[in-house]
Amino acid sequence: MNKAMEIFRKHTMKIVLVLIVIFFSVMTEGQMFAASSFQALIAQNAYVFVLATGMLMCMLTGGNIDLSVGSFVCFVGAIGGHMMVRGGMSVPVAMLLMVGAGVIYGVVEGFLIAYINIPPWIATLAGYLAFRGWGTALLNGATIAPMPEGFIKMFNGSIPDVFGGAALNITCLLVGVIACVLFVVLQLKGRNDKVKKGYEAETMTSVIVRCVLVSVVILLFAWKLAQAGGIPNNLVWVAVIVLIYNFITSKTTIGRYFYTIGGNVEATRLSGIDTKRIFFLAYLNMAVLTVISGWMTMARLSAATPTAGTNYEMDAISACVVGGVSAYGGSGTVFGMVIGATLIGVINLGMSLMGIDANWQKVVKGVVLLAAVVFEIMNNKEKTKD
Amino acid sequence: MEKTNASTFLRKYTMIIALILVVIFFSITTEGKILFPQNINNLISQNAYVFVLATGMLLCILTGGNIDLSVGSVVCFAGAVGAMMMDKKVNVVAAVLAMLVIGILIGMWQGFWIAYVKVPPFIATLAGMYAFRGLSNAVLQGMTVSIKSEAFIKVFGGGADCYVPDLFGGEGFNMTCMIAGCIAVAVLIAVQLKNRINNKSRGYETAPLGSTIAKLAVISAVILWISYKLSSHKGIPTALIWILLVLLVYGYLTTKTRIGRYLYAVGGNEKATRLSGINTKKVYFIAYVNMGFLAALAGILTIARLTSSQPTYGQGYEMDAIGACFIGGASAYGGVGSVAGVVVGATLMGVINQGMSIMGMDANYQKVVKGLVLLIAVAFDVLSKREKK
Repeated sequence: MNKAMEIFRKHTMKIVLVLIVIFFSVMTEGQMFAASSFQALIAQNAYVFVLATGMLMCMLTGGNIDLSVGSFVCFVGAIGGHMMVRGGMSVPVAMLLMVGAGVIYGVVEGFLIAYINIPPWIATLAGYLAFRGWGTALLNGATIAPMPEGFIKMFNGSIPDVFGGAALNITCLLVGVIACVLFVVLQLKGRNDKVKKGYEAETMTSVIVRCVLVSVVILLFAWKLAQAGGIPNNLVWVAVIVLIYNFITSKTTIGRYFYTIGGNVEATRLSGIDTKRIFFLAYLNMAVLTVISGWMTMARLSAATPTAGTNYEMDAISACVVGGVSAYGGSGTVFGMVIGATLIGVINLGMSLMGIDANWQKVVKGVVLLAAVVFEIMNNKEKTKD
Repeated sequence: MEKTNASTFLRKYTMIIALILVVIFFSITTEGKILFPQNINNLISQNAYVFVLATGMLLCILTGGNIDLSVGSVVCFAGAVGAMMMDKKVNVVAAVLAMLVIGILIGMWQGFWIAYVKVPPFIATLAGMYAFRGLSNAVLQGMTVSIKSEAFIKVFGGGADCYVPDLFGGEGFNMTCMIAGCIAVAVLIAVQLKNRINNKSRGYETAPLGSTIAKLAVISAVILWISYKLSSHKGIPTALIWILLVLLVYGYLTTKTRIGRYLYAVGGNEKATRLSGINTKKVYFIAYVNMGFLAALAGILTIARLTSSQPTYGQGYEMDAIGACFIGGASAYGGVGSVAGVVVGATLMGVINQGMSIMGMDANYQKVVKGLVLLIAVAFDVLSKREKK
């Protein structure tokens, strides 16, 4: 009984995700499982994964958030639109300059937060207002479209099928199978290493169960995507970013610093770690990732618009909190965030498929965010009681 | 000695000096238009919401730099419900009460999560910001509902002639307004002197008589000047009555009552406050319930001024309120701030709003300027504290 409770608590969000998928599948009469829905889920929510990765790094340092990301998406879109469409600048140069803008903003924001000690939500609230205004002003309130073909393809296109399958993209299926094999091998190797070094390891059954479940999900995605044109380029971007940050947070020294600061900033500083630099890096990193999600948004809309990025900060913060990232910092994983972002994506997609009014979607999202935080806090309280 | 005096003076009155400089700046760029009687009138009625919201925000900020991001959406939601009710021919008094009750309920809802479940305020109110914006849209079905009740508009300061009528019927010059200004000055001087005498007789430390007189002279001059300007337009805008009411009540609450002291104590050191037997959770709860209530009042003032309700009302209001508090010297870490400071901060925000509008500046660049002003105010606060240490 206790063990069942423990499994339940550890995997709550995954169980909730499954329940929500089932709920929307029933409500949309199976539309949710159409191949095109899988494609849409990734195309429409790629930005959530990218922003949530950056937000995770900020939140780890002590529940600090960045409210300006949505407005900054709009702002970089505006300068990008001017450079690529109005100015006819070459795509790679324009993209580099956009990253440059992100770095400048990240340095300023990070400096104010880390070295001047301005509370993050104030510094980023100022950015939230200023960049929405500036972005809109640069666009004169109008839309710049269409974006260059080459730029759009980098995000919206799919990886071509090397084997030339007509209706079914063989490359996509093959990549899915390889990903499964890699996952299983890594899991088994990880367990073996632990056993060899005499650490406590999970039971073989739980490893097998996890491998089977994850493989099924990967293969399902691969199969559905193969029917809908192959691997979307957006997915490649997301996968690369998620893997890099998963490595940074779990395997590197700097990654550990983010967790220790969130756990106890004073103790971390006293043990000789430059905590200010970590805060600085968190916000610099956030700004750069915001530029990437700005590209994704521009490519998807094929335009730079004054409303681009509205409420994106909400999606990113929700994805983190739903994914078990602590609102007080110090705990949370990239993998958890992926679950959270997928959940937010499924809710977005499901509500759109059901044709729910955009206003009620806002209400639902607000409630989901609140519910997730409350759940996390309650859960922690119980844990400390045990 | 002389130098430290000058620098402490400068530090103490920075924001007032900044306010004067900003007024001079806009007087030059607008060729004196900002000081026209009508513009001073507009300054008050168009920024009434800033004063009301900033007062509520001050109480939240006092408890430890906690803010409420949802106020803009709550303003819109309360206004939307009220406008719909009046549109459906509900009695005006009932509609006003309903709006205030909605504000209080929203405050209780958010206060509960923040105080008793310990959800971080920015997340709880961020959720509210989205949810109530969505709900307002849903209530109004994305449309504009106009308000026809004359009584409502007049009482809450909307429309073209929402002024306190002149009892003396002066042509072109509103005597009532001027007399009210004189009475205010007399009351102010009497209260200040009485306080001073009281303090002296109890042997407390008092400021030198010279500085008290100088302060009184400056404040009196400002009040009389504003009364004169208002008198030469149409008199006292009704919105001003609401602002004064809120400021006086909360000025009293924060300085003279026990609950007011608790707000400061919690912001200064939460743990010590709790250990000395004060129910800190209740203090947080009250701060947010109160914020909901004042947000609803701001909603009433907003829909009255614009004589309608729209789904976009109240956007960015949280920014104005938070900005006014920080410009007015409230600490972003809690425990420091005053209603008088809020008045200076809100006036500065109002002058900036007004000045930029008169200059015909693009609304988008106005946002940029406001963001920068907020940032500078907080940076200034943080840096000057560091220096003090």
